[in-house]
Amino acid sequence: MTDTGLEAGPRGNELSVAEFVQENESYYSKQFAKIQGTTGFAFSWNTMAALCGPLWGALRGAWGFFWTFLVLELFALVQIGRGLWGELGADQIARYEKMLVNIAKREQQAKDLIAAGDTADAEAKLKIADNLKRVAAQAKEKADLAANEAFSILITGLVLLLIVKLLEGFLANRTYEKQYLNWRANPAIQSGVNKLSALFGAVLLIAIWPLTLFRFTVSDPDGKLSALTNGFIGKQIPITEFPVNREYFAVLAKKGDAGFDWLAINFSHVFKGITAGIRAVLDGLEVILIDTPWPVVMIVIVVMALRLAGPRVAIFTAASLAYLAFMGLWKISMITVALIGAGAALCVIIGIPLGIWFGKSKRAYTFAEPVLDFMQTMPAFVYLIPIIAFFGTGKPPGVLATLVFAMPPVIRLTALGMRGVPETTKEAAVAFGCSKWQLLTNVELPLAMPSIMTGINQTILMSLSMVVIASLIGAEGLGALILEALQYAAKGQGLLGGLAILLCAMVIDRIAQGMYRRKVGGL
Amino acid sequence: MTEDVITLENVWKIFGDRAKEAMRAVQERGLSKPEVLSEFECVVGIADCSFSVQRGEIFCVMGLSGSGKSTMVRHLNRLIEPTAGSISVLGKDMLSLNGNELREMRAKHLGMVFQHMALLPHRTVRDNVGFPLQVRGEPKSVRWEVSQRCLNMVNLDGYEDRFPRELSGGMQQRVGLARALASDPEVLLMDEPFSALDPLIRRQLQDQFMALSAELNKTTVFITHDLDEAIRIGNRIAIMKDGRIVQIGTPEQIVTNPADDYVRDFVEGISKLKLVFARSIMEPLGSYELQAGDDLAQSPRASHGTDLDQLIDIATTTTQPIVIQDDENNDVGVINKSRLLKGIQGGKA
Repeated sequence: MTDTGLEAGPRGNELSVAEFVQENESYYSKQFAKIQGTTGFAFSWNTMAALCGPLWGALRGAWGFFWTFLVLELFALVQIGRGLWGELGADQIARYEKMLVNIAKREQQAKDLIAAGDTADAEAKLKIADNLKRVAAQAKEKADLAANEAFSILITGLVLLLIVKLLEGFLANRTYEKQYLNWRANPAIQSGVNKLSALFGAVLLIAIWPLTLFRFTVSDPDGKLSALTNGFIGKQIPITEFPVNREYFAVLAKKGDAGFDWLAINFSHVFKGITAGIRAVLDGLEVILIDTPWPVVMIVIVVMALRLAGPRVAIFTAASLAYLAFMGLWKISMITVALIGAGAALCVIIGIPLGIWFGKSKRAYTFAEPVLDFMQTMPAFVYLIPIIAFFGTGKPPGVLATLVFAMPPVIRLTALGMRGVPETTKEAAVAFGCSKWQLLTNVELPLAMPSIMTGINQTILMSLSMVVIASLIGAEGLGALILEALQYAAKGQGLLGGLAILLCAMVIDRIAQGMYRRKVGGL
Repeated sequence: MTEDVITLENVWKIFGDRAKEAMRAVQERGLSKPEVLSEFECVVGIADCSFSVQRGEIFCVMGLSGSGKSTMVRHLNRLIEPTAGSISVLGKDMLSLNGNELREMRAKHLGMVFQHMALLPHRTVRDNVGFPLQVRGEPKSVRWEVSQRCLNMVNLDGYEDRFPRELSGGMQQRVGLARALASDPEVLLMDEPFSALDPLIRRQLQDQFMALSAELNKTTVFITHDLDEAIRIGNRIAIMKDGRIVQIGTPEQIVTNPADDYVRDFVEGISKLKLVFARSIMEPLGSYELQAGDDLAQSPRASHGTDLDQLIDIATTTTQPIVIQDDENNDVGVINKSRLLKGIQGGKA
């Protein structure tokens, strides 16, 4: 035995094939040798597999084979069933019969009206009856046509079954040989013949095939089944739909409503505090971006782009700002930028410490991961509802909705960066007497910085994608413009507004990236 | 005057969730390494290691990968906590230090050089070297001055404002060495510092390190997997296998008197020319049988402390055997050509 607990054992091919197949080894070792000795397709026929189909797969533990051919054989069998006993065109016949009754009724009415001397009305009724007759004739024709198709469907089904059987016979040994190779590397893979797994396969077949066949080949399967089982299956337990109304759903939804209401009432001061905090950040940003005269803001932004990201980005920025200004979108663009800025700033302030924590503690990350997944995948509308309940409408709740959606990337990427710091570098720092704080600020954060910057960048871009959704709960800005365009199907307005959002995003992104590249130098 | 700077006594390190239990079982029942693995799923990293290192000594720890040598050196500054045993460095019981004391100890008295350099990529060479001083809270002026001095010591002046990625592997490792020297520690821990370098650079760095070490007189624990390196550099060598120390001794002791087959295998390919001396291969004068043409009166004389390399030089100048003298210049033994050849071959008579 070695340190790894592995045991070396050169295994002869014949010996291990015998160990793997357990039964019929001379046949399989010959077939495997044939497959292994051929490049391209080896014609190796397995009669057992062709006859038993999925069951052979279950017996040999080839579950991929089992499921593939379970479905394919079932498909062929359904065609055969439809051809043999399927009431093809049954729905058309039912329609035809219903119409015959209807026609008879109209004609009776017409007769009554003639007897009463009201010929005008009678004529109208007769006209309806005539129209109905024409439609009925069409239905009958379709039904007959469908019934005539039965034979060709039967033939198709038989051909399909034959093809499936051929496939089974020719593919079985190839599949089995692959399984053998996998088994050599990983002995946990099922080998040999296993009666129990064959039984399991048979049970699956019995559970799947008859019901499915019945459902697809018989019209009104529930009615027929209930006649067969005295109304138990089919009527009480229908097979065409799950026998439940939305009673559980309704109860739980009501409970959920009550819970949210309770929270909204009892913690209103907390929610008000949060709203006030966000509003303060927003107001500050809006003062800077909107109340400052526009030339000042524009000049500052362009110069910032020039200094931080170079002349090309500066030209692009100037062009973008000109677009916003000449389209008359300057003010609402700045409202949007303030909204995003507040959202992104909060994401960074909350997200980076969380990311550091999750990067350091594996356990915390295990708990946080599903929450982060939830925040990113849950449709925004779902959390918009409670946000409205707790925080009302307007810009602060819009920022909050942005936070939920845009914070995960910065958390994840910070944690990723923290975990990517080489152990050896951390060890060296500790060996020179670093405290935990010194390690964090001198080693871990600088080394994780590229990853963190990517996270911040993503957060900004995701915030932008939320502006339209945030406008649903009353956040003004470019999002509201687009929402309005959607409501009135104003294509031009939507396009111009969308372009404005895109330009805002690109300007922010380019400046942020340029800033980072500058800071890191030539890395 | 010799003084023990580092002392390890019966140090054990067992890795795994059930290390404590495994330790108790080992002490009570004397389980072997595979037994510990199968019974407790714990790996024995260090088994019952004891040694001491004297002031100014270069103590090499030699072993193959997985023998526990890197684990052991990390015990000396407690990057790894031992499961049992005691460790004292510079008269301090390392295991009794609290967090702050330990950090101070590391920052002031223990420098370390790593196999993979582990420099900080976002800092210049100067700031990397000054890092241990920064950790200690020294002002920038001191850091700059000291790192300048340390970079001079490793012949890297002029590269202060470069980033580590701009330097070659050998230069990076010299930065690592300078960083370890920056806090002027009494003890240097070197974890395979030259292993990742190519042979030529390795040799240069070894020479440079030995010169530095002779000058600075630091107590050094030097980890290596290369016996040649250990013999070149070390005053004493400890050979490790499977977490145990198999033999401790001077290079000559290890080469001429290996403790077991494992050590013998290692020593096999080592050049003995500078490690074996006349006294261990000479035939005593009394039992030497004169061969035809021998005339001991004409023979060259050599001291018993002459190494094989010098003996070969002497032998090429004469056809006579060499007469060996003791410290008082009395003739005590003889080495003829066949004895010399045998000695070169095996280091034994």
